[in-house]
Amino acid sequence: MVQMPSAVELSGLTKRYGEIVAVDHISFEVKEGEIFGFLGPNGAGKTTTISMLTGLVTPTEGTAKIFGHDIRKEAKEAKRCVGIVWEESNVYPELSALENLNFAGEIYHVVKRQREAKALELLEKFGLSERKDDKVGGFSKGMKRRIAISMALINSPRLLFLDEPTAGLDVQSNIVIREAVREENRKGTTVFLTTHNIEEANQMCHRIAIINHGKIIAIDRPENLRRTIKSAQSVQVSFEEGAETGEAELGKIPSVRRVIKEGHRFRLFTEDPPAALEGIWDYARSHGIRILEINTLGPTLEDVFINLTGTAQAGAGGRS
Amino acid sequence: MAQCTRKSALLEELEAAWAIAKKDIKIYYLKAPTLMFAILFPFAMFFAFAVGREMPVATLVPGLVSITVFFSASSIGPSALPLERRIKAYDRLVCAPISPYTVMLGKVLSGAIFGLVIGSIILAACLPVFGLQIISLPGLLLGLILASFCFSMLGIMLAMFPRENPGDVMLLLNFIRLPLIFISGIFIKIEMLPYWGQVASAFSPLTYANDLMRLALEGASAFDPLLSAALLISFSAAFLYIGRRIDLKFRE
Repeated sequence: MVQMPSAVELSGLTKRYGEIVAVDHISFEVKEGEIFGFLGPNGAGKTTTISMLTGLVTPTEGTAKIFGHDIRKEAKEAKRCVGIVWEESNVYPELSALENLNFAGEIYHVVKRQREAKALELLEKFGLSERKDDKVGGFSKGMKRRIAISMALINSPRLLFLDEPTAGLDVQSNIVIREAVREENRKGTTVFLTTHNIEEANQMCHRIAIINHGKIIAIDRPENLRRTIKSAQSVQVSFEEGAETGEAELGKIPSVRRVIKEGHRFRLFTEDPPAALEGIWDYARSHGIRILEINTLGPTLEDVFINLTGTAQAGAGGRS
Repeated sequence: MAQCTRKSALLEELEAAWAIAKKDIKIYYLKAPTLMFAILFPFAMFFAFAVGREMPVATLVPGLVSITVFFSASSIGPSALPLERRIKAYDRLVCAPISPYTVMLGKVLSGAIFGLVIGSIILAACLPVFGLQIISLPGLLLGLILASFCFSMLGIMLAMFPRENPGDVMLLLNFIRLPLIFISGIFIKIEMLPYWGQVASAFSPLTYANDLMRLALEGASAFDPLLSAALLISFSAAFLYIGRRIDLKFRE
């Protein structure tokens, strides 16, 4: 198997603000070609880490390299490889869509002919060709975000930093942006994605790091992370209408730890789903109840996140 | 080969600085309110301090041109930069593969061009009205260009404090700018100032800009023009350096 080179390599990266340690000696690497998710609750150190990697903030300790270029000693070379989409769409509202893209190309040293062609190509790709000469100030939030992503792609970066790229956007913009990011990744662009949307990370990322209190507490593929918490495995069952049963009754089934009611269904948490399934069938037969639907559910990434950080996150979790 | 790489790197930096300047001119400087402010404010200052005094108006024209350049070159950058910080557009410049000095230079360039153009308009209007002539063209060009850069640099230096409210930076800027008008020979000749005022005037770049204007329009100057030019360049370099230190300090 060919070992992919590192797109991002952090070693003991630390940031202190006086007595407060925002990021505490974190070390990990992102392989070239990966979509790498970076999750954590508010104040965990995500933004500080991204700020250090992009040159906005100077690290207190440790090193970080982008495609082998030290972010402090070879800042320009490192930055040249990168495109950044911030959480806020930091476009210039007084400039047109095309002028915004051209300006981004100019400060990333993209030659004129190339940047003009690329700007038109990106506007076409993001469905903004017809608005290319309109001032961005009049655009919707989703359109501004598409412009911000286009600006980040104008230099054809090898590494794309995305900070909450779909936060607060409509469904259509979300789909367009996620597909564009996947397409860039298919073309070889490495993606470093910071998001609160755990389902988004679950769907898009090859690997995920979870940061809490400035420290990396888990880093693995989403499916491996889910496997780490067996206790969150469950069986979801619904019975025919009128069946007289409840959480207390179902909780007596061997191997079932806990039962919760979700609408007309019951969710039975267990560390041994096959044994729980058997128990449910036995229970249904012995009580003369007909089962309408039964599913086994793995732990969601949200379960993993809550388990590791102790934080309840808003938003839907994924299922397997 | 190495020299070729360095040259192209320098060219890249200059192109990026020009791109930032063009963008700023388009967004912030070519606005009717900005242009009106830049032209009317120095006139208001001029008439407020010149009317009713026994000095011939024509001798005050170098001062009028100097404060026009002073205010127009130093005002817009410090207002615009906090706004860019607020919408995180300034982060885009900091994260781009360009030197931090290039970002500052781009911002300075737009202010300097604005100061130069507005100063030239005021001068062009004053020459026929007051029947003045340009006595020293090199003095005029040196004065206008160096003063524009120096005053623009002063504004950008103060804008390096990480503020998102333009008022915060303008307060600081005016705290420095307004006293300078009175100690730099604009309305009161330096030799008429008290001793402490004369000493303080030596530390004001406006003193040397105004002296070059007097050389250009009156044919007389208190300092050697080359010394004035060298000091304006030195002030600009010091402002650039201090601005960078301020920026670095707040990134730590």
